[in-house]
Amino acid sequence: MMDPKKEAERLIKEVEAEEGVTLDAEFREKLKNEIAEKIRSEIERKRKEIKRKVEEEEEYFVRFSLNVRLQHLTLAVGVILLIITGLPIKFHESKIAELFFDLIGGIQVSRILHRIGAGLLIFVSIWHTLYIAFTKEGRNEFKELLPRKKDFLDFWQNIKYMLGKTNERPKYGRYSYIEKFDYWAVYWGMVIMVFSGLILWFHNFFLGIFPKFVFDIAKEAHSDEAMLATLAIVIWHWYNAHFNPHVFPFNPTIFTGKISKERMLREHPLEYEKIMKEKLSREGKSDER
Amino acid sequence: MKVWILIFFVLIANQANSQLKNQRCFVCHGVKNFGIVEQGKFKSLYVSREDFEASVHSKFACVSCHVDVRVIPHLTKPRKIHCLQCHFEGNVVGAPVTAKPEKYKESVHAKAVAKGKNAPDCKDCHTVHYVRKPEDPNSSVYKTRVPELCGGCHQTIKEEYYNSIHWAGIKRGELSSAVCSDCHREHDILPPEDPRSSLNPKNVIGTCDKCHSDVKLMKRVGVPVTNPEAYKESFHGIALKFGVVKAANCASCHGYHDVLPSRDPRSPIHPANLAKTCGKCHPRANENVAKGKFHVLPGEKESGIVYYVYTFFKWFTLIVLIGLFTHIVLDLVGHIRRKRKKASE
Repeated sequence: MMDPKKEAERLIKEVEAEEGVTLDAEFREKLKNEIAEKIRSEIERKRKEIKRKVEEEEEYFVRFSLNVRLQHLTLAVGVILLIITGLPIKFHESKIAELFFDLIGGIQVSRILHRIGAGLLIFVSIWHTLYIAFTKEGRNEFKELLPRKKDFLDFWQNIKYMLGKTNERPKYGRYSYIEKFDYWAVYWGMVIMVFSGLILWFHNFFLGIFPKFVFDIAKEAHSDEAMLATLAIVIWHWYNAHFNPHVFPFNPTIFTGKISKERMLREHPLEYEKIMKEKLSREGKSDER
Repeated sequence: MKVWILIFFVLIANQANSQLKNQRCFVCHGVKNFGIVEQGKFKSLYVSREDFEASVHSKFACVSCHVDVRVIPHLTKPRKIHCLQCHFEGNVVGAPVTAKPEKYKESVHAKAVAKGKNAPDCKDCHTVHYVRKPEDPNSSVYKTRVPELCGGCHQTIKEEYYNSIHWAGIKRGELSSAVCSDCHREHDILPPEDPRSSLNPKNVIGTCDKCHSDVKLMKRVGVPVTNPEAYKESFHGIALKFGVVKAANCASCHGYHDVLPSRDPRSPIHPANLAKTCGKCHPRANENVAKGKFHVLPGEKESGIVYYVYTFFKWFTLIVLIGLFTHIVLDLVGHIRRKRKKASE
């Protein structure tokens, strides 16, 4: 690394030797600082420019539309809210539960927050249903997420790959079997949590309709499925989205919507191929014209 | 040996002495219809010698308490005496000192007395001359006699209590069954609004729990012992634990003084009465609330369908998580293996 001050000193000395004069010490010091400062700012500017160019040149693909990103965000906020206000009820004997209720201002406040979370969850499930029913993008995404025979083959291939029996990674399309599993697991969880939750929420209304044991089942299912979902999110989803060495510490795609070409090639090679083919045929068509 | 004989004689002599003195009192006070007319009413001054001599104070002379009686017959009315005259910390006569008088001072009874109302203090429950140990079946505060004792003033409640399964238990000879003092406590009887009271909504569970979590006792009387535990796991129990006092506690559904088992048609938890009982808080409750078990513990087979839901989720969760976990471990191990291979190449 070059030191701007030393460089300035060298320049001044060169001029002095050429002209055969010695500048006043005070003036010399001032001049040296000015030159050094100029050099420094120029280097900084140049560096920034290079960085920007690299960023611009890197190729990105849009993986998730804003609609999908907002759906995920709503779901995530809802679920986190539900988990942190729900767990203290399940583990009401623990000290942490007591601390939590003290902190938040009592179990009644927690109940309201839990219902806000529930509202977000129900809202996003309606939103998603409308999205896959009435938008072209939604229908396409839904089709991509439907399980196929290939998913089972991919799963088998991936197991062989993880065990080191083969060096060929399964070639995933837009969604890998892992992502599809996550997507469909949410359906299972939603159906159980929303229905049992609504029975518990509006118990005074449903008391006139259902026999008592339905409420016992609803409570048990709500509590158990909550535990399963929480563990699946903390262990499985967090591993895939955070702790997996490929993405550690955080895979931002679901929030930014962007995915790099490099990751696209590694994680969704078939989708990449498809996009490229479409692009080529589009370009070919425009050339014909 | 010699010393023991000496002590023995001293005791005998002492007893003889006090008895001799008491003998003189009983000349008059031992006569059944001995008394005076005070404000136009006959007031009995009779003291049963037999009962006095069976009391914990039998070894004492009458005048040890009635200290202002110096000549017999006495011409003036002796001053009122109080238990604390002897039962105080550091007394020399060997009167047992407990925290009970202090506890009593906090009670609703002491507060009423302080306000000049007609409320009991020591002597009203323990009697004056015939104080016996509570374990003594002839004691005024012996367990089976407590309802009668409290019922002396609380008459309607006594009648309610006499309908209850608790009193039926006592009558059957099950002395562990609850009487007034088991729930209300003995000396520190506090109003339910007081957070220290055994009847405060937050403490009711603990009060019932004392007996209803006792495995041996509940087995003996044939009452399910897991009910308090199941209650604590219910929404009512959790809400109450974290300060929602309006949530139902044991007494909200079971009643209290006249508590009865669900098989009794008078009981608020009899299937035919459940709609009304639940309806106190849940306005739409109808006969549906009787269709299902109460105090359900999901892990118990007796819980029926809830047990199967619980079991399904238990195994389902276990299998799913083992699968996911295995996948993660395989992925990590594979990743590390490939990294090492790459590094060594």
